[in-house]
Amino acid sequence: MNSRQVSVAGVVAASMFLGVCPSAGAIGPSDAIDAKRLADADNNPADWLTYHGTYKSWHYSGLDQINAGNIKDLKVAWSHATPRSTRGLQSFPLVADGILYYSGSHNQVFALDGATGELIWAYKQRLDEDLVSKQTHSPYNRGIALGNGNIYMGTLDGKLVAIDMKTGKLKWETPLVDSKKLTVGFVGAPLFADGKVIIGSQGGEWPYRGPIFGVDGDSGKKLWTFMTAGGNDGEESDARKTWGGDSWKTGGGGGWMAGGYDPKSNTVYWGTANPSPLYDWGGADWKTKGARSGDNLYTSSVLALDPASGKLKSFHQQLPHDAWDFDSAVGEFVMLEKDGKEYIVHPNKSGFVFVYDRALKVQNVWQGVKNVNFVKSIEPKTGELVGRRDMAEGKHQALCPAIPGGYSWNAGSYNPNTGLYYKVGNEWCMDLEVVKTTPILEPMAQLNIGSNFTLNKTNPDGTAPHGHVSARDPLTGAVKWSVDYPQPPLASLLSTKGNLVFVPDARGWLRVHDAESGKELWSHNNGQGHAGGIISYMAKGKQYIAVAVGWGSLVGDEFKALYGEPFVSMPIDQGTLVVFGM
Amino acid sequence: MRGLRSPAMAALLLGAGVASAQGPTSSPPTPAGSEATGAPVTASPATATPTAPAETTPAAPGATPAFDVENLFASTCGWCHSDGGRAAGRGPKLMDSPLTDAEMAYRIKAGKQGAMPAFGSSFNDEQIKAIVQYARNLKPAGSAPN
Repeated sequence: MNSRQVSVAGVVAASMFLGVCPSAGAIGPSDAIDAKRLADADNNPADWLTYHGTYKSWHYSGLDQINAGNIKDLKVAWSHATPRSTRGLQSFPLVADGILYYSGSHNQVFALDGATGELIWAYKQRLDEDLVSKQTHSPYNRGIALGNGNIYMGTLDGKLVAIDMKTGKLKWETPLVDSKKLTVGFVGAPLFADGKVIIGSQGGEWPYRGPIFGVDGDSGKKLWTFMTAGGNDGEESDARKTWGGDSWKTGGGGGWMAGGYDPKSNTVYWGTANPSPLYDWGGADWKTKGARSGDNLYTSSVLALDPASGKLKSFHQQLPHDAWDFDSAVGEFVMLEKDGKEYIVHPNKSGFVFVYDRALKVQNVWQGVKNVNFVKSIEPKTGELVGRRDMAEGKHQALCPAIPGGYSWNAGSYNPNTGLYYKVGNEWCMDLEVVKTTPILEPMAQLNIGSNFTLNKTNPDGTAPHGHVSARDPLTGAVKWSVDYPQPPLASLLSTKGNLVFVPDARGWLRVHDAESGKELWSHNNGQGHAGGIISYMAKGKQYIAVAVGWGSLVGDEFKALYGEPFVSMPIDQGTLVVFGM
Repeated sequence: MRGLRSPAMAALLLGAGVASAQGPTSSPPTPAGSEATGAPVTASPATATPTAPAETTPAAPGATPAFDVENLFASTCGWCHSDGGRAAGRGPKLMDSPLTDAEMAYRIKAGKQGAMPAFGSSFNDEQIKAIVQYARNLKPAGSAPN
């Protein structure tokens, strides 16, 4: 047995090796998680096979055993304490054939019986701990991907690994990023599509070029690299011309969250991070002056890529010359169809939601948060930014939204029964002083922010910094209902066929709202804040809700100064996967 | 950039291996070679060992660009220590910190898991001392220079 794998419950483990699944009956080759099963995932709500639920990225469960009529009887069924939960538990569980898989901080992965929570195996990646101790955006992991009998995970030290989903043994690992030099690695979930594993590196604040990679899902061979800052070397591209001088070499970018996939056209969609430095002293003269003059392709953009070659099919830069750290890497690519027309809905960190056709041509843009002044508006027909607020060197008051964004990386949910898109919006602003900085590359890369900043205790509209969960038409943004939360919930949302919307909040409460009306139907305190995923699945014929519990993210760290208790005293090194059932 | 507030600040401009805020970097960006090979490694006890540390590039002899702590906050430290260290943010306020100089230096060097990265291999002792000195000299924004 591999030394990294911790085997427990020998009988269970032995039965796994014999091909007998303890909770879901026999698993044969026909149950392989292949392209067909993933494309059909919407028809099998017992599973939760991908980070965003299915390739439609709805974060929706078609199960309704648990519903608005019986939610009052929902109870904790089992829980799993996550070891070494530094910075809480930010990941997203997946379920296939009644077995739940999830990752934790320090690149741990656990396989559990979905009905009982009994541990089947645990995997601990051997990490370069010295490197991890030097990382800022670390040591959390936000999720994994399933495919071809493997669990795929990006590591903090820059590798993609494949773990056998039955045994928990490492199959291969492919080094992709030199994290010793670049400091960053991977924290976001990979996407398994067309037999390839797509994963984007961290970037944004960092002086590199934020690559996205395609890796063969069977062999682990790297197939392609897409440099989000300045495009690839040696390829015909106008991207590099959109950067002043050599600024593309340290331009940031990246693609730190899992993207989306349309199997019909075999197209991967990926959102890219902001350019570096985040704030550019060039101010209003950004087209010709500053740290990185020009549009800075392909940062703060959405990309349509061929999964086999990484070739760019189309793209849209949501924020040309992003000067506010409002990347497009956050959030889901919600695949919708209406009146015979196909759409993609994708939020931007600025608090705006972009509606595209499948070729990424803008169909509409709507504003999902109130406190916005980085632009006056975004033209809904073209996506053009109107009335940009470009901040030159010096002090600036009340930039809205603040650096954590009007939207963060926590996913919303689309419910086909209500036709509504549920999403957490954040209302906060900050003062900043833009400063001329120079990228620090030696001996290892350091953050390049380009300002000092402080979040404001009061928004320009007189409200305190807060969040809301709103239910909207995903194409127009029309509001059906909205519920304020005193602190922005930092976890993803789940909606279900049972007419329920689950909101794991920052204070530790898991709250359930009526999907049609927004009325709160049920709540349960999980003991500490949430900043990860939530899913629903079925095991042994019963529906369950699994939620990641554990506080301590980079955004959550702001809550101590903003809100005081309970966040000052809330632990940031504890994690639990809590599972509810009837 | 904020002007230097005190004579003590001026003393913080020390020779260092990090890039100057005022001039070009001493070593140009070298993204080529920063990408790993991409060749898969089949799992085996031998390959489970982490790869050997990459050679770090030392500061070029004779190149002693200034170490400007105030600027360092706007590029790196300010991500967590708000308003140049004057206000609490993701990390604690550094102005009027209850830590001793030695404690602060140790925290910069060794970090704190899940909260603060370790900068011991990024900054030498002299530079860390300069960062501590900067924190000690912090005054509320807008106050008269001492």
